[in-house]
Formats: sequence, C-alpha cells, structure tokens
Amino acid sequence: MAPQDRYLTLLTSLPAHGPLFGARQTPLSRLRLRMRLNWLEPEDAEDLARLASVIDWRHQRFDVDDEDVVREAQAEIDRISNAFARELVIWRLELRTVVAALRRRRAGEPAPSGRRRWGFGRWVPHIARHWTEPHFRLERVYPWLPEAKQLLDDGDALGLERLLLGAVWAHLERIGAGHEFDFEAVVVYVTRWDLVARWTRYDADAALARFDELLETALAGVELPPAA
Amino acid sequence: MNEFVIALGWSGLFGALALSAIGSIVGCAIAGQAAIGAMVDTESGQGRYLGVSVMPSTGVIYGIVIMFTLQREVTAGSAPGLFGIGLLAGIALLYASILQGRACASAIQAMKVKPEIFGLSLAPAAIVEGFSVFVFVFALVLAGSIPA
Repeated sequence: MAPQDRYLTLLTSLPAHGPLFGARQTPLSRLRLRMRLNWLEPEDAEDLARLASVIDWRHQRFDVDDEDVVREAQAEIDRISNAFARELVIWRLELRTVVAALRRRRAGEPAPSGRRRWGFGRWVPHIARHWTEPHFRLERVYPWLPEAKQLLDDGDALGLERLLLGAVWAHLERIGAGHEFDFEAVVVYVTRWDLVARWTRYDADAALARFDELLETALAGVELPPAA
Repeated sequence: MNEFVIALGWSGLFGALALSAIGSIVGCAIAGQAAIGAMVDTESGQGRYLGVSVMPSTGVIYGIVIMFTLQREVTAGSAPGLFGIGLLAGIALLYASILQGRACASAIQAMKVKPEIFGLSLAPAAIVEGFSVFVFVFALVLAGSIPA
C-alpha cells in the first residue's frame, strides 16, 4: 500500500471534527481514540507520543528551569522521525515562545539576555533584538499578534486563548491540505482532537483547582511573612 | 526477431487483462479499507460503503472484454497492433482503477460525515469511470482494424 494510503481504515473509522468553537464535546472519547490509534505502526505511534509529550500542557513541568525545558524539548524533537510532526511541534513551540515574550514584557521584564535560552526556535534572538517593538516585528509572520497583544493588555484571558486555539486550528487546516489517509492526517486529527478537548474542558472550577496547584508549586519552600 | 514481435503481440493480448486486474485489485483494496473503517464508526448504512468499494472492479471487466476482442492468431502482422492497443489500454485501466479506488475512499469518508451527499460524493469516481469507458470503447473500435 502506498504511504499516502497507509491509514485508510484508521482515518475513516474516526468521526469527523466539527468547527472548534461549536463543539460541546470531543467527537470520540479519549479511550476510544487510544484504541483506534493502536492501529498505528510502532514508529508512528512513538512519534505521536513524543509530539504529545512536548506539546501537551499536562506533561509540562513547572519546577524546572526554562533552559532545561528547551533542552528537553529539543532532545524529544530530535527523536521524532516524521518531518511533518517535527515541524508541527517546532511551529507550536515557536508560537508559545512569542506569546511567552508578550506576557514577560507585559509583566515588566527587561529584554531577555542572549546568554540564556528562555524560548524555543528561530525567533528567540529576533524577539530579544526587537523587545521594544509592540509586536516584535513579527506581525507579518503571525497576523494575529496585534490582536493577541490587545487581548493580553485588556486582561481578556479567554479571548486570548480562543484566538490562539483558532490560530493553531487554522494552521492545521493549512498544513493538513493534501493529507487525507496518511500519518500526517493522523497527526492533524489527533492535534485537533486535543484542541477540542482543551476548549470543551474549560470550566471555572477546574481552572481554580489548577491555579491553586500551580501556586503551591511556585511557592513551595517560600516562607511568607506572618500577616499583620 | 520474428519471435520477439510475436512475444510482444501476446504480451499486448494478455496485458490488457493483467494490467487492468492489477488496477482493480489495488483500487478495490484502497476503497475496501476505507469502507471497513467507516463501518467501525457508523451504526447503519454499511451496505452502501461496501457497494461503493467495489466500483474499481469494473476495470478488470473492461480488460477481459478487450482481451477477447483482440484475440486472434498472433502473427508478425497482427502482433504490433495487439501490443500497442492491449498494453496501452491496460495501463490506462490500471491507473484509472487505482485512482478510482482513492476517489471512492474519499467518497466513503464524505458520505459517512454527510449521508445526504451520497450521490454527489460519487461524481469524481463516476467521471474516472467515464474515462475508462472511453479507453474500452476505442480499444474495441481500433481492434477491428488489426489484421486477422
């Protein structure tokens, strides 16, 4: 069977995604998706697992240094054998780097020093050079950047999340064109499933619990002065 | 030299069938895999998927008819014609069946999501079928001018 038809049965067995923001739940459960993905070839399954380990927020550790995070991500990416999956991971990490830079600058941090690896990808030195520019001179590469900055300045976290998820969704649509029944189509489907799962999972209680968890991690070992 | 030309004649004669059979095998396998996947995901309408998945099998039927139409004594006079028509018709049917299989797989995927476009989604596969019919008909017409 030709490579472009390798996952015909798998992909036709997966229910279609609707529009991202209209979805009330994922088209199939995580358990069922995992069962279907058992049809992947071992090397493709490994690539998909590595992609998830780098991208999925649940796998992110907040108790390690930025440099270590970047180094570990680079090591994982180097082990991904499929070029399409590798490029997708790099694109998403670069996007996160740009958003992280917006957040850092809004928090009043100075331009990052060239010695430390604080972000991932080709834009790291560019951003440091153009720290004082409103959009780091990247608005042509990321047309949504001015809107993202505005939403961040307005403190509209939900609007920003919506914008970023929409940008990733549109990127997947663009790069997924021409891939119908191959591994690349599986990568696009699973990444979209993750986006839908993320968007439909959002609720205030869960967000509060997560915030508490992050706060505890960040403040571990810090002695707070007694309240007056 | 004469034996070589005769051999070419025979390969053209059987090539129409063999190549179209290969095309139908691959095309039906592609569409069949898509049908199986769609059956896993849906509760009803499985018969339609199976029906669509056998569309590429028409290629081999055209190949059989072309072979019988070309069948005659293979001589130095008839062999070049048999080779040219049989082989080229076979190659055309081979590609048509494989690509029709891919069109059917896409149609199955589309009709699974939107059952109401069942007919429309089959249009690309039907157009490919039309080109196969062109090859078939004109192979039969030209076969009449090959010396017996």
